[in-house]
Amino acid sequence: MTESALWAIVTGVANVILVLAAAPFCEGIIRKVTARVQSRQGPPIWQPYLDILKLLGKEDIESGESPGLQRLSAYLSLAAVLTLAWFVPMGAAAPLTKAGDAILVIYLLTLCGVSTLLAGLAAGSTYSLFGVSREMMAMLTLEPLLAVGVIVGAVETGSLRLDDVLNASVYSLAAWPLAGILMLVVLLFSLQAFVGRVPFDTAEAETEIMEGPLIEYSGPKLGLFKYAQMSKLFVYCALLVGLFAPWGSQWPYPLALLVLLAKIGVLVLLITLVGATHARYRIDQAIRYYAALFVLSLVALTLALVGF
Amino acid sequence: MTPNLAFVYALSICLAGSLVTLLVSRWKPVVGWLAFLCVFSSSSLVIYAALTVLLSGAAPALTLFSLAGLGTCRLAIDGLSAILLLLIAVIAVLSSIYSVRYMVHYTEYGLGRYYPYFLLFVAGMYGIVVVTDLMVYFCAFWQLMTLPSYALVRFESKKQENVRAANRYLLMMELSCGLVMAGAGLLGSGSQPGALGRYEFDSLAANMSSVLSADSFTAIAALLLFLVGFGIKAGMWPFGQLWLPAAHPAAPSPVSALLSGVMIKTGVYGLMRSFLWLIPADDLASYPAAAWGLVIGVLGTATLFFGTIQALKQEESKRLLAFHSIGQVGYILLGLGACLALLPAASTSDSARVLAAMALAGALFHTINHGLFKSLLFLNAGSVLFATGTQSLNRIGGLFKFMPVTGVMTLIASFSIAGVPLFNGFASKWTIYVSTVLGSRTAPYLAVLALFAILTSAITLASFIKFFGSAFLSRTSQLVKQRLEEKKRLEVDWTMLVPQLVLASGCLVFGLFPQTALRLLKAGLATSEHGLGATLADGLPVSGGLAVAGPGGHALIVPFVLALVLVSMLLLARTLSRSGGSQRRVAIPWLCGYALESEANRYTAHGLYGEVKRYLRWAGGTARR
Repeated sequence: MTESALWAIVTGVANVILVLAAAPFCEGIIRKVTARVQSRQGPPIWQPYLDILKLLGKEDIESGESPGLQRLSAYLSLAAVLTLAWFVPMGAAAPLTKAGDAILVIYLLTLCGVSTLLAGLAAGSTYSLFGVSREMMAMLTLEPLLAVGVIVGAVETGSLRLDDVLNASVYSLAAWPLAGILMLVVLLFSLQAFVGRVPFDTAEAETEIMEGPLIEYSGPKLGLFKYAQMSKLFVYCALLVGLFAPWGSQWPYPLALLVLLAKIGVLVLLITLVGATHARYRIDQAIRYYAALFVLSLVALTLALVGF
Repeated sequence: MTPNLAFVYALSICLAGSLVTLLVSRWKPVVGWLAFLCVFSSSSLVIYAALTVLLSGAAPALTLFSLAGLGTCRLAIDGLSAILLLLIAVIAVLSSIYSVRYMVHYTEYGLGRYYPYFLLFVAGMYGIVVVTDLMVYFCAFWQLMTLPSYALVRFESKKQENVRAANRYLLMMELSCGLVMAGAGLLGSGSQPGALGRYEFDSLAANMSSVLSADSFTAIAALLLFLVGFGIKAGMWPFGQLWLPAAHPAAPSPVSALLSGVMIKTGVYGLMRSFLWLIPADDLASYPAAAWGLVIGVLGTATLFFGTIQALKQEESKRLLAFHSIGQVGYILLGLGACLALLPAASTSDSARVLAAMALAGALFHTINHGLFKSLLFLNAGSVLFATGTQSLNRIGGLFKFMPVTGVMTLIASFSIAGVPLFNGFASKWTIYVSTVLGSRTAPYLAVLALFAILTSAITLASFIKFFGSAFLSRTSQLVKQRLEEKKRLEVDWTMLVPQLVLASGCLVFGLFPQTALRLLKAGLATSEHGLGATLADGLPVSGGLAVAGPGGHALIVPFVLALVLVSMLLLARTLSRSGGSQRRVAIPWLCGYALESEANRYTAHGLYGEVKRYLRWAGGTARR
């Protein structure tokens, strides 16, 4: 108990601090690069930090009929992402490998979505319910993709333990890991949707339904939601890195962390470039896109099951 | 007092109680409490009997009576029966408390057509899980379960559709009964009647060895009859769709809770008995377990997939819940199928043995959990119906403000059924996922079934976001405003809240400490009599701590630790949001500044998930508006 529990708490807290510190920076990069791609100057890179600080102090307008649930969902949105951070390796082994497995991680990602849904429902505006409907439809079609990624890992390693599925041989170069490569492709193609960025930001669609589930939120609650979205992007990228490109994670602490940050940086750039150069899909287009990816991932699963 | 004796007393109390409640049915304030007293005392006896069996082993069967030409009526409580009995007893008590206040609002119908049948129905369910004969007395208890519940489904007999639903229900149940009896007849016909009757479960099991090796066609035909017969009862695809979605919403809500939470589980119980306990442990080699595993696993996956998709399209609260009952039974069947698929490998590989045990335990665990959260959901829907007078999700909204306790209970139940971590549905689904994903080393197709189960779990979440969101959140609807003016207070009485509180705390306890349930199940399997099922007890991994782990620690969850982390992160988020010292202000939502809110621009349940519903039109399940 004592020593391993203490170690889990120390690394877990370190992960949480890392996420909270680095997530707005990623957002800053995204804004800056997007602006440059679109021939604009763009805000300074530390602007997201200031945005959050500003929102924390602003007036908090509650327009829903069940303010208690609105508050809970705002807290839950950030808390769910930060809890997820306890299960993702960031420089060291994942802190809570002894308290949950890969299936739990899939469901924790769902929990992150649930908080947004509850927020939209509790606000009760027509626009927020539009957003809830779309967000849920996206979750419906996206969650299985990640599940396939995890199941392929579990099939190949014979284990659902986090440290086996992550940091293990899904992407082993011993043989041609067809299933692993196919899953990598699928998850890279769905990355944009998982982090809710253009062209898959149908649920928020600022120009159409005005941030959907978040339309009625302001002040610290909006700050928490925004912070959660940034953190989700960071944690999700870290998860993807752990699943498919874990090399370097066994190196000593500061080095492994730097390698991880570099890989996350690459993913963030990828997300930015795709986002900056595409226009938003309609929800039906997005669903068809996800369905195609789902079929591909089924192929990957079949390949993994027959031993490729 | 021996468990058998306690059980007989319990049955007699129910039967006598039905007579008494019939006599005093005009005395409305008293009859409900009288019925509650009967159910409570009989359930206490049943719980005592079940716990005694679980703690100290199965009691020898008790011969009740013998009739010339019809054989002897024997009752036997073993571990598996005990688990089902516990579930039935707990839900029956809670449902009867709920009935007391709930039934008063039916002003047009007398209670003489409710409580007597309610007690008989409970007695029938108790009987069906302990009767050892599969012919005459099985039929007798089956009718004791079916006929009163038929009367309860058609309780509101002035509504034509309820009568039709009840008739269809009766027809399907009689068909199911006939099929099971035909299966037993097929198996028992060739055997020599020994000291026990020819169609006694033990005789059939003893006869199974020779049937399996000499006459495999008969064995397959009989098991197929059991599969369809009990499958109809359990709500298995495609049979469940024929009766379940019509019958469950038609009954008064406390009865819906019993039908969905408990009664369909007797079908699951029958399937487990016939596919695992009927086969002697030594005959595994001649029993095509893997093939049956494939059949049941695929049927289970079809059941969960279609049931849940059809549920997603519903816009009436209880009809939506009824479709979800089909969906959740699918998970149970998937667990049973996975267990059968892994059984052949279990004798050689330790890990397959653990996984097979986990699959069965997952199925049983989900049986219990579904009993808890689905009964709770039907009671929630009943309270909403009681308060607003409608089942239509399109006409209600914003109830959370007026029914906060019911709202929180519904949220807990919705999270439980949707498999949100920390709630009991997640724990049992996790057990099934682990056994199917890791079991794919033995039977590769299991991983694909697991994937569909995970996908369906997201659909369940979508459906309950709709259920909870459109009833309790969103905006106050015209109808709710109107009801509020009439009644002043919408939240239901404490007698209706207490059962919900008990069920909700059950969901939380099993969600946070799933190992308590697994320990109970292990005791159940260990004290069950004979058969393949009993051999799996020692394969079930149960540790002393808070963790639930798969074979070799290759999968594990510790919900309690997760809860600690989540709560501390919630506190962190709360501190962060308070740190800026911002002021709260209440305002009305923004509608582009032109129009004020009205019933016409309120977003209702009908509007949710339009595109997905359109793409999934082929999956069936018409919604009624």
